[in-house]
Amino acid sequence: MNHSKAATIFNTNEKKVDWHDKALWFVRHKRDKSVHAVEGWETLRSLGHGIKAHTLSNLDNYLIQFEENALKNGVQVHWAIDGDEHNRIVLSILKEHNAKKVVKSKSMLTEECHLNPFLEADNIEVIDTDLGERIVQLAKEPPSHIVLPAIHKTKEEVDELFQEHLGTKPCDGDPQYLTGEARKHLREKFIKADAAITGVNFAIADTGGFVVCTNEGNADMGAHLAPVHIACMGIEKLIPKQEHLGVFLRLLARSATGQPITTYSSHFKKPIKGNKMHIVIVDNGRTEQLSRPDFRASLHCIRCGACMNTCPIYRRSGGHSYDATIPGPIGSILSPGKDLKKHSSLPFASTLCGSCSDVCPVKIDIHSQLYKWRQIITKETPQPFVKKASMKMMGKIFAKPMQFERVGKVARWSLRNLPNSVINSKPNVWGKSRDLPIGPKESFDEWYKNRKKDE
Amino acid sequence: MTNGIKTERKMSSRDYILSRAKTNKPDAIELPKIDLKVFDDSRNVLNEFIKKVETAGGNVFEATSNENVVSQVKAIFPDAKVNFSTLKGSESFNTVNFESIKRPHDLRDLDILILESDLGVAENGAIWLKDSQIPMRVLPFIAKHLVLLLKKDTIVTFMHQAYQKLASEDTDFGVFISGPSKTADIEQSLVIGAHGALSVTVFFI
Amino acid sequence: MLVGLFIPCYINQLYPQVGKATLELLEKLNVNVIYPSGQTCCGQPMANSGYEYESVGACNNFVENFKDFDYIVTPSGSCAYHVKKHYNIIPQTEDVAKVRNNVYELCDFIVNILKIKNVNARFPYKVGVHKSCHGLRGLRLGSCSELVGESFSLIEDLLNEVKGAELMSLTRKDECCGFGGTFAVTEEAISVKMGKDRIKDHLNNGVQVITATDTSCLMHLEGLINRNKQPLKVLHIAEILNSNI
Repeated sequence: MNHSKAATIFNTNEKKVDWHDKALWFVRHKRDKSVHAVEGWETLRSLGHGIKAHTLSNLDNYLIQFEENALKNGVQVHWAIDGDEHNRIVLSILKEHNAKKVVKSKSMLTEECHLNPFLEADNIEVIDTDLGERIVQLAKEPPSHIVLPAIHKTKEEVDELFQEHLGTKPCDGDPQYLTGEARKHLREKFIKADAAITGVNFAIADTGGFVVCTNEGNADMGAHLAPVHIACMGIEKLIPKQEHLGVFLRLLARSATGQPITTYSSHFKKPIKGNKMHIVIVDNGRTEQLSRPDFRASLHCIRCGACMNTCPIYRRSGGHSYDATIPGPIGSILSPGKDLKKHSSLPFASTLCGSCSDVCPVKIDIHSQLYKWRQIITKETPQPFVKKASMKMMGKIFAKPMQFERVGKVARWSLRNLPNSVINSKPNVWGKSRDLPIGPKESFDEWYKNRKKDE
Repeated sequence: MTNGIKTERKMSSRDYILSRAKTNKPDAIELPKIDLKVFDDSRNVLNEFIKKVETAGGNVFEATSNENVVSQVKAIFPDAKVNFSTLKGSESFNTVNFESIKRPHDLRDLDILILESDLGVAENGAIWLKDSQIPMRVLPFIAKHLVLLLKKDTIVTFMHQAYQKLASEDTDFGVFISGPSKTADIEQSLVIGAHGALSVTVFFI
Repeated sequence: MLVGLFIPCYINQLYPQVGKATLELLEKLNVNVIYPSGQTCCGQPMANSGYEYESVGACNNFVENFKDFDYIVTPSGSCAYHVKKHYNIIPQTEDVAKVRNNVYELCDFIVNILKIKNVNARFPYKVGVHKSCHGLRGLRLGSCSELVGESFSLIEDLLNEVKGAELMSLTRKDECCGFGGTFAVTEEAISVKMGKDRIKDHLNNGVQVITATDTSCLMHLEGLINRNKQPLKVLHIAEILNSNI
């Protein structure tokens, strides 16, 4: 379903739209308060952008350096060209360790690769341990936001879900009680897990280590208890030096939730003695995006979600309307690179207001890239004939002043003289909820010419 | 590594990815220079640290000695049964004997954990803990209540300075902890106490 | 100084009063302004819809009509932004470069080129400023709430000098109205919802007249206000600055 259709359905419940919009605007507001208190914030953003741009321009060497150092640390390093290979690699590691019960902390990459259903098809239990992810897992839905996976769920809905799956008592959606029950339920899973899978927020080339940021502590509860830790990362997660974490850890949480830092920023380098640590490095379309000068900056993304919180369209249509692993503005410039036809409606789900680009901590020119994808989509995917033809016609009319005046006259006459029932009829989408202006008798051009005559 | 699926490619996935990265990367872009002076905000480092720990849901107290810390902790958590402290001279506080612990899972009922840190960050109330300060990695996460000791002069202003200090260390594992575990995943209502510690108490010594 | 007046296509055809107000205002400020009658459209409607290659004729026509002026002034932030940012699709001749450098949105021109803030206007009403996005985040006609830096706003500078005008504070200072060109029609549900929310913000904060640098936004908001018979008037900033009520 294209974004417009899905968004229209979402908007049939105006109360829910208002609730969803307010919830996300509040997160944007917290972000604003937090960043306006940082001296040199705009410089920090420029540094984030510059470090990522530099890294991409030397990506192959940094990947080699990262692998070298990780291997020295006693970590096993795997490479996956696509999502399928990633899944096969993870499965083979789990099989090697006879792992049947797996706990997983938030990793959008594993969502992208559809890891869970792949493992479950092989009778492996995968429990998403981030509370938001656990909620959508139980609801059998994909996450609707990359940082706040269950932002679309009311507390009453969570209450019912937990009653059904966790055996909790009805509690009017009391978040304290529900979180406490989730803590007990997930603690059992951590204790019994045979393996832990985590994502990677930042991978450091000069140490071979990586950082995982959480507020809940679920990544650590998994990784430090299970005998095997598998960390999955996209190639673009790399940064050159540990000192660069100073820039990125100052940018990330403030942009995401308005906190100066997440509760836990865990720096992994070597496995616990006797335990095993694996890193799976994944391409899955990233080197392809790297080849596109107009779109390669989208690989700077540090997955903070700020663009989603600020986007007036995302807030009023919800993440599921995008039908993409990563929704919102950043998703709309990443996804067409993977499947142009499937995601062709996404770059048009925007007014190009530019707010996303201004909140992006690594200064991705999101709104410019949305505009550029539009030019490609109209050329490379089938367009409705009427749209193509009318754009061509517009182009011709606007090239010639005489034709422009002629057409304008007809338009104005129609607006002035045709009955409202004709003007606001079904084909006129504008007229569904809005009035059109009254067609003036004279265009500005005519008025000016007459004024000159009178002088 | 892959389970026997044959591919036509002669290259390994690693070489394929690296060759594509090499071919597709843009011309070299220089690393930007970081001038820390632009971030100076003349805030009092200690006050800022305390404010940020408290905003993150933690508590800050003063202490005069290790013994004093232990006695304050006992007063704050009178019902705690399973306790462990790495502080010198606090062995009587410990109810856990690490010799008898076979796996970290056996510590799931740990009520109080007292650790020492040598680095705090004012801008976010974060405290650094590393392998050499934690007997078992899972401890600061599995403990119900986390107590951290810090000397006032080990607090730096920003993360940049923190990493300058860490540059000379080589730790297998380390973590910045800012306040107790938390989540707002249920309708954006902040709940303190997710999977990690339910509380964090910081003592200045 | 010779100024060429560019009147956006939809203002020309549907809101000529905005064009008249702009011309009269510039003449009041002693600007030597000419409206070249061969002009049509800056090409934005096609380009934003993904058909920038169909807009080349419009771009060339624009440059042809305006290449001999010192400044090109237009009552539209989005048109000025489009010329500045997206005219890189035609060969960059001297004329093209000159036009791109010298095109100005109206408030920008008055404050930064004429160096005037008080245009001797009188408009005794409670005014809500809608900060049109292309002007705000595209041309940086003012500071936006996302960026950290000094606060400023060219349109407010001018309105603050208008006698009797009271600037009302909004809850969301610079959220998009939802027009977005063909977006208004292709994503109609969201476009309408965004417009309704903006209008509610103005109403909740006691606004009587909504103004902006862009008629596109105003057309969309006015369409909703009129359909829903809401107690708000909509005027382009040129009309307010040209007022002496």
